[in-house]
Amino acid sequence: MGSVWVIVEQIDSKVIPVSLQLIGHATKLAAELETPIEAVLLGNQIEDQVQVLFAAGADRVYIGDAPKLAYYQPELYSEIIHKLARERLPEIILVGSTYMGRELAPLIAAKLETGLTAHCIDLKVDENKNLEQIIPAYGGVISILCPEKRPQMATIAKGVFPDPPLDGTRTGDVVHLDVLEDLPLRVQTLEIVREEPKGVTFESALIVVAGGAGAGNLDGWNEIADLADLFNAALGSTRPAVDEGWADLETMIGQSGKMVSPDLYIGIGLSGELQHMVGIVGAKVMVAVNIDPKSPVFEQVDYGIVEDCREFIPILIEKLKFTWKRG
Amino acid sequence: MIDFTFTEEQELFRKAAREFAETKIAPKVPEMEETNRGWDDVVSAMAEAEMFAITIPEENGGLGLGYVARLIALEEIGRVSVATAMMLQVFGLGIEPFIKFGTEEQKKKYLPALAKGERLATAAVTEPTGGSDPKGGRTTYKKDGDFYILNGRKCFITNSHIADTLVVLAKDEENPEAFSTFIVEKGMKGFKPTHEEHKVGMRGCNTGELEFKDCKVPAENLIGEKEKGLRVAMSAIGDVGRGGMVGCALGVHTACLEASVKFANERILYGKPISRLQAIQFKLAEMKIDLEAGRLLGYRAAAMQDQGLRSGNEFAVAKYFTTEAAQKAAKMAVDIHGGYGCMEEFPVTRYLRDSFVLGPSAGTSDIMKVIIARWVLS
Amino acid sequence: MLKIVVCVKAVPDPKEADKIKIDPVTKTLPRHDIPLVINPLDRHALEAALQLKERFGANITVLSMGPPAAGNVVKESLALGAEHGILLSDPAFAGADAFATAYTLAKAVEKVGPVDVVFCGMASSDGSTEWVGPEIAAILKLPVVTMVKELVGCEGDTWQVKSKIEDGYRLVQVKLPAVFTVTRELNIPKTLSFSGIIKARSKEITQWGLEDLNLQEDAVGLKGSPTIISNLTSIEIKREVKIIEGTTEEKAERLIQKLSETGVI
Repeated sequence: MGSVWVIVEQIDSKVIPVSLQLIGHATKLAAELETPIEAVLLGNQIEDQVQVLFAAGADRVYIGDAPKLAYYQPELYSEIIHKLARERLPEIILVGSTYMGRELAPLIAAKLETGLTAHCIDLKVDENKNLEQIIPAYGGVISILCPEKRPQMATIAKGVFPDPPLDGTRTGDVVHLDVLEDLPLRVQTLEIVREEPKGVTFESALIVVAGGAGAGNLDGWNEIADLADLFNAALGSTRPAVDEGWADLETMIGQSGKMVSPDLYIGIGLSGELQHMVGIVGAKVMVAVNIDPKSPVFEQVDYGIVEDCREFIPILIEKLKFTWKRG
Repeated sequence: MIDFTFTEEQELFRKAAREFAETKIAPKVPEMEETNRGWDDVVSAMAEAEMFAITIPEENGGLGLGYVARLIALEEIGRVSVATAMMLQVFGLGIEPFIKFGTEEQKKKYLPALAKGERLATAAVTEPTGGSDPKGGRTTYKKDGDFYILNGRKCFITNSHIADTLVVLAKDEENPEAFSTFIVEKGMKGFKPTHEEHKVGMRGCNTGELEFKDCKVPAENLIGEKEKGLRVAMSAIGDVGRGGMVGCALGVHTACLEASVKFANERILYGKPISRLQAIQFKLAEMKIDLEAGRLLGYRAAAMQDQGLRSGNEFAVAKYFTTEAAQKAAKMAVDIHGGYGCMEEFPVTRYLRDSFVLGPSAGTSDIMKVIIARWVLS
Repeated sequence: MLKIVVCVKAVPDPKEADKIKIDPVTKTLPRHDIPLVINPLDRHALEAALQLKERFGANITVLSMGPPAAGNVVKESLALGAEHGILLSDPAFAGADAFATAYTLAKAVEKVGPVDVVFCGMASSDGSTEWVGPEIAAILKLPVVTMVKELVGCEGDTWQVKSKIEDGYRLVQVKLPAVFTVTRELNIPKTLSFSGIIKARSKEITQWGLEDLNLQEDAVGLKGSPTIISNLTSIEIKREVKIIEGTTEEKAERLIQKLSETGVI
């Protein structure tokens, strides 16, 4: 049986957390399949990152290190990995669901004429030793299999799996890849421009306030935003709020958006759709405010408030301000 | 028999009209409600969206799409803003005399700019002394060399202050039985819009009075045959006027039903949405029954009109039914909303006020019954 | 004159789509008569093509794989300004996963002939994998840029575009012919116009099936899909909820109290 691969992503020559999380989870899969874990790392001046990949659980690292690989280059990255996969015949390839991953993974999958699953919230090995790829859909979950083609491929977002423990004593072997100097390139990343993220980021937030269609209009949305401000919370959204134009796609929490792990999650005017709720992982306390006592969200939280958020949120804000002024 | 479905193309027209109304007209409604103004923006939006070209023949610069398409457009616009739909519907009255009775020169001179929305039209028939009874009007004309001189007043004229081209009904000064219609243009000496109306509903729709004081109109502006002006006026107010009100009525009726369904699904009483209560369900059912019936009546009449058949009677039935039904629906919608139904932030209060203005426009309900009785007894 | 193909998908109206839920008892998806509309992101893809047509001149073909009912989505695209529409419809195409879909669409693009640009929305509102665009590119051996949010330079046959990444963008240079998947930010789609609908009367919609594309049954649809859905279950992410009672004011006070007690605020 082929090995379990993780395609590792680096930013500015440092491995990003989701890649380590995937290696961590791959350890479980590889153990059941009795096969090694191999990481594929492409970049520039990234030799020193090999160690952390071993520490996370990789047995082997394939490394392509060259100046022209500093930025994600679609044709180079996909062809290097494609060639390697044709040679080494991995059983499974896992890719982080980053912007890069969401372009690179399908390129590789199509070249290998194999299946690729998006937005996995869990990966297991089934009784036939196939990779069970679990995704939320239609108010429930679906298991997807790629029973015949190999490798089986999946993308997973950061935060679905936990950070793995790092064992600094672990080691493994390193294979240096041919970086395809002569490959003619028709598409090239010229530069990468990043802006400072606005507001409280999901990573650092202890409190996440999320709003949905129940906000009703922009005024209602702004009230929810005010509450988030007051808590110094990150403000998240659901798809309906993004579609209405009240919130950016970047703030969407859920299956096709961000995963968050706050201490406190407050969902306001949202129905508890699975696609959104899977984005909240391991929150200590969850609260929902919704006008409908029968809303599914009330089965998924610790405290429920049955109220029209347009009425409740301003009152909550007032009370909070009062409490904190006193305390 | 008849196929009661819309064609694929008609469904696309509806989609286009709905998208247009929701994106370009809806944002203007609050301002129109507050200020009873703001019509410039919606009028230019309609011009850009080719709404004024719908019934104007292709050879005169229009889209030549006919009256079913017109009804679809009015229904979709009316669903978002009855005031806007009203201005479009009355525009239809203003151009119909050209289409049916205009000479080639008159069509060439006026229709292309009207189709593009560069110029606006209206019809001026109603007077303080003659609305339901058009022959009661006292506006007169008399020939004077190469001109006709008009004297009189018109009231309850929509697009009064913004129309560039008006088709005006007047009677011969010397012969009170002889009526003729004339094309009057904005800026003509002796013609001016005077008082602006503040209607209880359809706010932001320009309605007002016109004054003619020795207004000199060139002889070539006589439209239709001399002394056959009532026919010309009826071509405007008849099928086209009634058909236009059907569009406005169906639009606001749909809006009432949609708002009621939304509210009923969200309002929780006794632990569940009120949409589960039979009393509410029955009201919704009644609104739906009337809407289905009204749509069939309206589109049947419009289809006949498109086929070139006489449709005045069928439109009288449709106009009566849909405008009465819209008023009922608006009141039911307000009832379903309970206390919220009296609060201005909820659209149903606007629908109720708009629905009042539907009744007397383009012929009162009683006049419709007169027409229908005549039809039955003929 | 650019030759452009725009891939559009007919999807259940996203505004009504959350009515579709797994039945927890039968574990199947009950059918709903939700009307099919153009996938919202594909409107942006089509708009990108239309804007290029305005600037440089272009011939736009719209391509859609779907059941016969999806024809209205192709018709609408013609009314919006595309010249020619192709509906890929065949029972054999049904049940396709992202790869089989991309494969079928790619073969259709080949049959259309030499193209300069293929535009796709970055994802569909129902499947939402984001795979079809890049997989079409890989199968056609064309370069691809996904998540395009701005066309910086699109004259001649080498373009520069901005592709979204976390907190920013990649500036990408690409030689045509190429595939682009677009985001909502790229443009504001024009609305349907009456005259556009009239012009569409004379435009053709061609229908292609398995034979027209010269494909084998096992390469497309369910048979040609490497992935399958093996199970459908309703989920439990359940917690023990405590509904806080009282007047609105009391609820606010009690909530604050509870949250303070648990130490999260």
